Amino acid sequence: MIKKWLLKLGFVLALLPLQAQALLTIEITGGSDAALPIAIVPFGSEGLKAPEDITKIIRNDLESSGRFAPLDEQDLVSRPSEQSQVNFADWRLLRSEGLVIGKISSQDGENFQVQFQLFDVYRGQQLAGKRYQVPASGLRALGHQIADLIYETLTGEKGIFSTRLAFVTQVTAGDGKKRFALQISDADGANPRTVLQSTQPIMSPAWAPDGNQLAYVSFENGKSEVYVQQLQSGQRKSVASFEGINSAPSWSPDGRKLALTLSRNGNPEVYVLELASGDLIRVTNNAQAIDTEAVWSPDSKDIYFTSDRGGRPQIYRVSANGGRAERVSFEGNYNASPDISPDGRKLTMVHGANGRFYIAVQDLKTGAMQVLTESGRAESPSFAPNGQMILYATEQKGSGVLAAVSVDGRIHQRLSESGIVVREPAWSPLKK
Amino acid sequence: MKHSIVQTFLAGGASTVLHVLLFLLLIFSFDMPTEIRQFGQPEVEIVQATVMDEELVLEEMARLQEAEDSKRAAEEERQQKLDEQLEKSQQELARQEQELLDMQERAKLEAEKRKQEAEQEQQRLKQEAEKEQQRLKELEQQRVEQEEARKQAELERQKAEEAKQQAEAERKAAEEAKQKAEAERLAAEKAREEAEAKRKAEEEARRKAEEEAKRQAEEEAKRKAEEEAKRKAEEEAKRKAEEEAKRKAAEEAKRKAEEDARRQAEADLQRQLEAEQAEREGRRVRGVVDEYSQIIQQRVKRFWNKPANADRGLEVTLRIRTLPGGDVGEVTIVKSSGNAIFDRSAESAVYKSSPLPLPSDAKAAAEFKSFNFVFRPE
Repeated sequence: MIKKWLLKLGFVLALLPLQAQALLTIEITGGSDAALPIAIVPFGSEGLKAPEDITKIIRNDLESSGRFAPLDEQDLVSRPSEQSQVNFADWRLLRSEGLVIGKISSQDGENFQVQFQLFDVYRGQQLAGKRYQVPASGLRALGHQIADLIYETLTGEKGIFSTRLAFVTQVTAGDGKKRFALQISDADGANPRTVLQSTQPIMSPAWAPDGNQLAYVSFENGKSEVYVQQLQSGQRKSVASFEGINSAPSWSPDGRKLALTLSRNGNPEVYVLELASGDLIRVTNNAQAIDTEAVWSPDSKDIYFTSDRGGRPQIYRVSANGGRAERVSFEGNYNASPDISPDGRKLTMVHGANGRFYIAVQDLKTGAMQVLTESGRAESPSFAPNGQMILYATEQKGSGVLAAVSVDGRIHQRLSESGIVVREPAWSPLKK
Repeated sequence: MKHSIVQTFLAGGASTVLHVLLFLLLIFSFDMPTEIRQFGQPEVEIVQATVMDEELVLEEMARLQEAEDSKRAAEEERQQKLDEQLEKSQQELARQEQELLDMQERAKLEAEKRKQEAEQEQQRLKQEAEKEQQRLKELEQQRVEQEEARKQAELERQKAEEAKQQAEAERKAAEEAKQKAEAERLAAEKAREEAEAKRKAEEEARRKAEEEAKRQAEEEAKRKAEEEAKRKAEEEAKRKAEEEAKRKAAEEAKRKAEEDARRQAEADLQRQLEAEQAEREGRRVRGVVDEYSQIIQQRVKRFWNKPANADRGLEVTLRIRTLPGGDVGEVTIVKSSGNAIFDRSAESAVYKSSPLPLPSDAKAAAEFKSFNFVFRPE
């Protein structure tokens, strides 16, 4: 009986495989590397009109990152400025994952109330939303700030739109004399302001970790000197004016020391200068070679630098306390101007090949090197504080421009218009 | 086997005892013939040994008895003859003595008479007698002397006769002794023979007993062998019977099984046909499902904006419910990747892919009512 019953059961079960089987599973790998579609609705305006198009700032920031593909304005199906006006089904039809709406209002034209909301279109959920009150002068910065927030919410990475760039410009005046300027701009290259002008060369600006000071090299006294300048007050101080070369400053992660290149003992060597005491520690000691362009590892333990001790310039690493240096770069016969990513995993540098110079990135763990740029005149790479982009200077049509490339080489940006020579850029840390 | 060894040993022991006893009997039979039986009798084993074939022994004993009897009879006859001869010679001796006595009597009477005559003559003839006497005397003397001589001769003859008789008696005695010795010898011989016979009988008995024991042992062995053979045969038969029964049972079972199998096969065939039908249907459905899975996969892939910084190890499993027509009704995270942005990108990809292309076939479409997506960066 039982056997028969079991047979029947087995028979019944045999007929049920479609129902009894595990659920159908479809595997999705790869996906699209395309930028994320996002709808940024022009903020509704009440009262007096704002002097800055904050929506445009946000839109440009997100688009320039290469990660987002904002819908064209004419494609927007509606222009809600409040949640109650949002019909998510409309936005779903546009395949837009994110929807940004906002309002800006001002009674007096001086102070502005700004609010924004970021929605997950498919879930109909708000992902981020804030209200601000800013003066008119702060609208641009607020736009970058909102862009940072959207970026971080949707990518999980810190936005870098509120960071700044430092760089040196060089113009030749009508009298034929060259004028050098140390300038700071927004991360998008906009809003440049000069912090130092000189008829003598200015070189190697370096951001202090607090984002409030710059160290740089000035030849204003006819010789190279290293200065540290407070950005807000403009106060500055020469910290290294030893005999011979004083160059290539780099801030330690705690902001208390500078690594720099001095030839006070005859040969350019890397030293560490304690700013408060002025104490010097010699880090390299190789009379046959030039050791320069020092940069700290994020954990403060090591210093990476360029040296031609092997005959050709290569990147080396040495303990911040000095000692034996080890070679880090091996591909090609020219690698110089190192910078280390904020997570300490990547090294970017100028990679020379066949007389041309490219921005390359090397995985410090595997040693694998990847060339990121195509034009052959790149110099001075500098990691963005989120580690996703690399800022560098290059030459375009005879003049220097600022450009950025994502660490995977997919996204390329040009940050400044040509017309002036722009060199030696440095990306600021995140705003504290 | 152990038992029979013990028996053999016992039999051997018994025969040894028997031998010893017989030896003793032989020894003692010469010196103390009368004690033979007393010595032989108490031994029970002997009796028991002979009991094994009492008839044979009895026969033998009868034969022995008979032989003994005839011997005894012959001996008695011979003895009787000897006795008769002895009596005859004695009678002859007595008769001769009587004759001797008679002669002596007659001689005496003669002498008496002659004396009287002589006296009468003497008187009558006294003168003459005297003269004659003288002569007579002389004659007498002479006669006496002669008589004396005759007497002496007679005596000597008698004496010789007596010696002769004595010798004869002695001879007879010697003869008798000889006969007696002969008789004794015969008796001894007879006893010896008897002992021998007995020994032989016993030997025979022992041999027979041994033979019997051997025979019995052999018989026992044979019996045992037979029993063993029989037992084996029985076992074999039993085994064969069992095997046969088993074989039959197996055959029966096989037959039944075949019967069942045949029935089962028919049922199976029916089921198989149904199953094949179902299988074909299943294959067809699976084919459609696979096809649409790929279409859906391509579509979702296209709509998935994978986060640029997604770590390789991330993996999220989503459960999808579709509405008729392919619209994505519900998306739930079955197993999160641990990265909210990655999870959300996958969810959005599914939503963005809505409506999903679904097969028109109802069975295949059923597969897509609820199913899973697994998203991996690469």
